[in-house]
Amino acid sequence: MQTNTTETQFIKTLRTALGIGQESAGARAAKIFTDPKDPSPEQAAIVKTIKSRRDKDHMALLHHLSREAVPLNLNVIPVKDKAQVSKAIANLVKETGPEWGAKKSVVQWDHPLVNALDLKTALKDQNVPVHTAAFDTTGMDDLTRSKARDRVRRQMIDSYIGVTSADFCLADTATLVMKSRPKEARAVSLLPSIHVAVIGKEQMLTNLKELYALLKYDPETREAELLPHHMTLISGPSKTADIELVMVHGAHGPRKLYLYVITG
Amino acid sequence: MTHATLFIQCIVDGMYPEVGEAMVSLFQRLGITMDYPENQTCCGQPSFNAGYRKEAAKAAKHYIETFEDSETIVCPSGSCVSMVRHHYPELFENEPAWKARAIAVGKRTFELTEYLVDVLHIENTGAYYDGTITYHDSCHLKRYLGVAAQPRTLISQVRGATFVEMKGCDTCCGFGGAFSTKYPDISTAMVREKVKNILDSGADAVVGCDMGCLMNIKGYLTRNTLNVRVMHIAQLLAGKKAGAV
Amino acid sequence: MSHDAATKKYAQNAASAIKDEILQKALNKIQSGLGKATALSYQNLDEGPDLRLAAHDIREKTINNLDVVLTRLAAKIRENGGRVYFARTGEQAVEYCLKIARQHHVKQVVKGKSMVTEEIRLNPAFEARGIEVNETDLGEYIIQLAGEKPSHIIAPAAHKTRQQVGRLFERKLGVPYTEDPPELTRIARKALREKFLTADMGISGCNLACAQTGHITVVSNEGNIRMATTLPKVHVAIMGMERVVPNLEDHDILFRLLSRGAAAQKLGGCVSYIGGPAGPEFPDGPEEFHLVILDNGRSRILADPKFREILCCIRCSACLNVCPVYGKIGGHAYDATYCGPIGAVLTPLMEGMNQAKDLCLGESLCGACQQACSVNIDLPRMLLELRYRLAYGDDQWETQPVSVAEKTIHQAWAFLAGHPALYRAFLRTFALGQKIFPTSRGMITKMPGPGAGWTRSRDIQPLSQTPFRKRFKKLNAKKAHG
Repeated sequence: MQTNTTETQFIKTLRTALGIGQESAGARAAKIFTDPKDPSPEQAAIVKTIKSRRDKDHMALLHHLSREAVPLNLNVIPVKDKAQVSKAIANLVKETGPEWGAKKSVVQWDHPLVNALDLKTALKDQNVPVHTAAFDTTGMDDLTRSKARDRVRRQMIDSYIGVTSADFCLADTATLVMKSRPKEARAVSLLPSIHVAVIGKEQMLTNLKELYALLKYDPETREAELLPHHMTLISGPSKTADIELVMVHGAHGPRKLYLYVITG
Repeated sequence: MTHATLFIQCIVDGMYPEVGEAMVSLFQRLGITMDYPENQTCCGQPSFNAGYRKEAAKAAKHYIETFEDSETIVCPSGSCVSMVRHHYPELFENEPAWKARAIAVGKRTFELTEYLVDVLHIENTGAYYDGTITYHDSCHLKRYLGVAAQPRTLISQVRGATFVEMKGCDTCCGFGGAFSTKYPDISTAMVREKVKNILDSGADAVVGCDMGCLMNIKGYLTRNTLNVRVMHIAQLLAGKKAGAV
Repeated sequence: MSHDAATKKYAQNAASAIKDEILQKALNKIQSGLGKATALSYQNLDEGPDLRLAAHDIREKTINNLDVVLTRLAAKIRENGGRVYFARTGEQAVEYCLKIARQHHVKQVVKGKSMVTEEIRLNPAFEARGIEVNETDLGEYIIQLAGEKPSHIIAPAAHKTRQQVGRLFERKLGVPYTEDPPELTRIARKALREKFLTADMGISGCNLACAQTGHITVVSNEGNIRMATTLPKVHVAIMGMERVVPNLEDHDILFRLLSRGAAAQKLGGCVSYIGGPAGPEFPDGPEEFHLVILDNGRSRILADPKFREILCCIRCSACLNVCPVYGKIGGHAYDATYCGPIGAVLTPLMEGMNQAKDLCLGESLCGACQQACSVNIDLPRMLLELRYRLAYGDDQWETQPVSVAEKTIHQAWAFLAGHPALYRAFLRTFALGQKIFPTSRGMITKMPGPGAGWTRSRDIQPLSQTPFRKRFKKLNAKKAHG
């Protein structure tokens, strides 16, 4: 383990290099750090704008997203309701096959919107199992927890389609924003070859700047959830240009990404 | 009456006096009177770029002493002007009196095309050239002095001339002073590409504002017996019969 | 290696790179594509290209207060359950990573692309202890299979053709030859998926940390870094101590510039904000998260006010994509972890000015790098500063004067510059003396000494027998009288 002396020594070396003393540290910190709980007027204004958006604003953002998504190979599909999404996923399962194994299976988050798709029923006549990559850890000891984790991992490895929602979608960069939560395994959007995400149109934001404002300050979100220990931004499926700068989609992670936006 | 004091840098003075001549005849046509302090030598840039700042400072002091009584100093090189304007003050960080003098003289030292366009607001010099011209942006002129539009403005007013941009017009030609002799392979690879872009542009003449770059480009052209004229912009603007370097 | 040998090696490396047609084609493609696209992407910023200047201010403020910024970062990460180790040297950082590996009986590591792990030579140390290390960025994977070093910060295998990659995969992975990039990518995808699923440890760098919230961020377009930081039980991230900003709003600005500088993108394809391990209630994600904050010579740079600015760099690599020297010699010629203009400044500061002097001397000072820099670092100023230290030597940096002969020449020239009569006499003598050099059509074709390199490929204009200073009076009088 790190002894505090190494850190103290390290920081002391920096102060010597900078030619400043420890005594100014507090005052300098107060000067360079903004208050994490106190948004700037600009940030507060951005958040206010976001909260005051109406249907037509969200539709405009959706149009913006649809344009930006094209070069990123992200398929944005506006739909009226959840039933359409379930149907579309059932079709997708019918028309596509697994990349790695022979057997088709789907894995999903334990998330209200995803659960409401009722994929188990939608995929019943195709006989394709739907796994929920989540478990309740209450009362579990380390060993059982570890086994439960292994089981979830196995389901994510074996499934060729992963279904998630997202916290936000940024129109300008065609970005899905996913904050980590216990019932929303990270690898559902990572290990399967096809990633399907479902959001409501009110989850649309304009750009990174709006996201950053919301990470700092959101009256409707608990402080600890503004920016949890882990968050992922995904802008289209995986890609690489490492061989002769030729763009190839699907280096690691999902090769296809479908985003269903429920317009209501 | 408009008056300019000429600072004719070493390369033009010694190797390309005809560029200085062209500048004189251009100024005469534009009604600009001139003087030329005989005691001028080198601005010190070669030493500065090689790291020899004490030696560069000696040259700088000489420049300051020679030119500080002049109201407006004009030089046909962006590189030398950048040296005077930007690097002289750096040389005298520990000599505040010299630093102040350096800043003062730096503010009055202008590169030829910025002098014509920005100071005198002259765009049409009444020049004539029969042919197709392309322009090479010298690095220090464009990036350190921000002069890229001015020469193009002047060129666009030259009667009879067709202007074409070359690919990579502002990519370094590979001169870089001592760089070109210390790392000749790299420098040659760079000038080879520059010349290729000049040839590909279809121009029969390449115009520039700094004889350092043009010396490099011309040296490669003549070695490979490639038939493109190399002209300093002073020569282009000087009149109907501006000749090649 | 002696300093002369280093110079010779640099010149030889450069010369062979220039002759390598495949490399030249790749470099051309990078520069004509990415270089231009990046400049355009700065123009398209909402705030306009001057956002680079604001970013420079943020970086400067951060570096000038690095002690409090890093203290906050470490405290926040520990608060989130992560562990933080401050490493003074590369060896300490490697030793720490090995210790974690031993604790977890690690047999196999998957890595996300990270220049800092190249800097501290992490891979060989792991391999020497029998731990398998797999680079997972496609470009890094290719060069790891080939046993080479990266030639570009973000496009490490840019110097390889699809045919070379095809033959390499055929030989090393036992797959049938193909030169189809999608098919080659698929082969690597398959091979690496196995590695991801079985690795016990993931190692990544850090693109940019945010101290206020206690997160590091890592970016990849391939998704490999997300794999490496999600699937193994342990994640160790290593960051150069300067790769941090204080606040979220700073992170916003720098992050947008990073993506543009690196790949002319608005945002990298896959970004992870990592502030600690996944808690016990989470079904996946690493159970341990370690952040190693590395000095390794950086505090020495911090202590020199003339070079401190280089610590503002966020390694986007935009300077490589516009540098005309990099565009000719490629990354390998620099023979250092960091190449291109950033390497030309950083390498002499990290590995010794005398040892790496050619990197700062071998640049043409064209200034394209500063304009391309996502945080507007004045790289040319620091190249000149390095040359200054090299000219006279510098005890602080244990730097010896680079050449007595060269210094004498500049002293003599300075003397002449201060004595106009002697200056004129010298040039007159030279103008007469130059007649011994061979000429063709009025141009000198061969010179000895320092001019030899020039005349190998170019002619040189001889000095005029009537210099301008002798012509002016007559020219000026002519007009006045007529």
